[in-house]
Amino acid sequence: MMETIGIWVAAFLTLSMFSFLYKDNPFYKFAEHLFVGASMGYFIPYTFFNVFIPYAYNPLFLRHNYWLIIPFVIGLGYWFRFSNNLGWLSRYPIAFSMGIVGMGVPMSIHAQILVQMRTMMLPLTNINLILIFIGTVSILLYFFFSKAHEGIYGKFTSVGIWFMMVGFGASFGYTVMARLSLLIGRLQFLLGDWLGLIK
Amino acid sequence: MNFSDYIQKIDRRYIFIILAIAVILPLLFPLGLPTFTTPPVLSLYKHIDEAAGTDDRAVFMDFAQSPSTLPELYPMDLAILRHCFLRDIKVLTISYYPQGAAIMQMAISEVKEDFPDVKQDVDYCNFGFRNFALRVPITLGMGDNIAEAVETNAAGRRLENLPIMEKLKNYDNIQVCMEISGAAPGIIYINYARARYGVDVAIGVTAVSAADNYPYLQTGQLVGLLGGLKGAAEYEELVETFANNDIPYSEKKAQNLSWRNQQYELSKVPYKFKQARIGMDAQAVAHVLIIIFIIIGNIGYFIEKRQDKNKYVK
Repeated sequence: MMETIGIWVAAFLTLSMFSFLYKDNPFYKFAEHLFVGASMGYFIPYTFFNVFIPYAYNPLFLRHNYWLIIPFVIGLGYWFRFSNNLGWLSRYPIAFSMGIVGMGVPMSIHAQILVQMRTMMLPLTNINLILIFIGTVSILLYFFFSKAHEGIYGKFTSVGIWFMMVGFGASFGYTVMARLSLLIGRLQFLLGDWLGLIK
Repeated sequence: MNFSDYIQKIDRRYIFIILAIAVILPLLFPLGLPTFTTPPVLSLYKHIDEAAGTDDRAVFMDFAQSPSTLPELYPMDLAILRHCFLRDIKVLTISYYPQGAAIMQMAISEVKEDFPDVKQDVDYCNFGFRNFALRVPITLGMGDNIAEAVETNAAGRRLENLPIMEKLKNYDNIQVCMEISGAAPGIIYINYARARYGVDVAIGVTAVSAADNYPYLQTGQLVGLLGGLKGAAEYEELVETFANNDIPYSEKKAQNLSWRNQQYELSKVPYKFKQARIGMDAQAVAHVLIIIFIIIGNIGYFIEKRQDKNKYVK
């Protein structure tokens, strides 16, 4: 029974959202606001019961791990963002967080830059590697603005534009597919779960 | 109003209706278009399949998902879990997103319906939800000891007491770290697990993110990539053709369409295990329609441009 009600509610909200394709209307506005409210409403208690209780309340008050008071106090500093006079206190937890981000820098450099560069330095043994080499060099030179893009140099950098256009085209093609997939997903729900036309 | 004006000023709502019809009809009457696998998907399938029947190798799945990505990512979840259960491959699952945890549980339950012999904490283990802030510590900690880093499963039982964890100690026992994500897929695992411990990483992503991740395939930092609904459909097809019939993958057989068609009848496959392939039927029709729209739009544009040019010449 509850599942049936849920499916009908979901179908109504889906159709309300689709109604925007015709024009803006109260059904769309209702569904939109409900979505924002429900998302926040879902997130807050979930975080409370799955983050605050197991990682803060239980260790501190039930298992008496008092050393956890230190990170709690640092974390509470975030709340001072709302104070004009004591706002500076919020910089401490931010600084601590930035330190954690810094921890990832060496590994990020390795994974995101060095390994990528190493692949660029392979012997040009096949057409793919040649294309990647030309594409990378021409795009890098295109973004080198200390030299005017004229003559042979300008022609070579325009090759970079072509490579970028192909990249944008691939991304856009994938984006079209993604948006259609969302439509397909909703229609599969409406035709299958709601109307029972898909088995 | 001539043809070019009409094309340029057509009410977009007519296009929405035509597109809706183009998507609905293939969903109601599947075309059964053949699905051919691409190298990134095939590579992942073969890599996971290598762990078949072993009890000291597991596939680790991270569900970084939300309901907005369900149409693309959920079929991937089902296909990979089904592959693992069919081929007796251990599975470990985790989610750092509240909604992802619910989706993870739903996917496991839905696939498990068809596998009554598959046992929780023996054949698979759901680690459940973990706070996002713990993602890096857990990812790094798993390199030393999975049970110590994750501590408990979704039901709160200590991992070191679970049968599945007897031979699964650290990343040496992980066949692949698979992140199925609608956000920034695989970055944490590429940066930390792969860079520091050398574990193989793969991702399943929404189509929007797919193109951005090909450089990682090129470098070998990813062993496989499922891109959007197409990637899910390809994986579904491989599982249906090979794993479901307990046949090792063969490239010769995979390219033989008539042999593949003999391996299963699409109408008899449960909908949950073919939803991506049926979705791709609708995709194909919609793509053809969009290409036609682009061509018609461009014809209208060039006619108008020529008319403008002639107007100035006169």
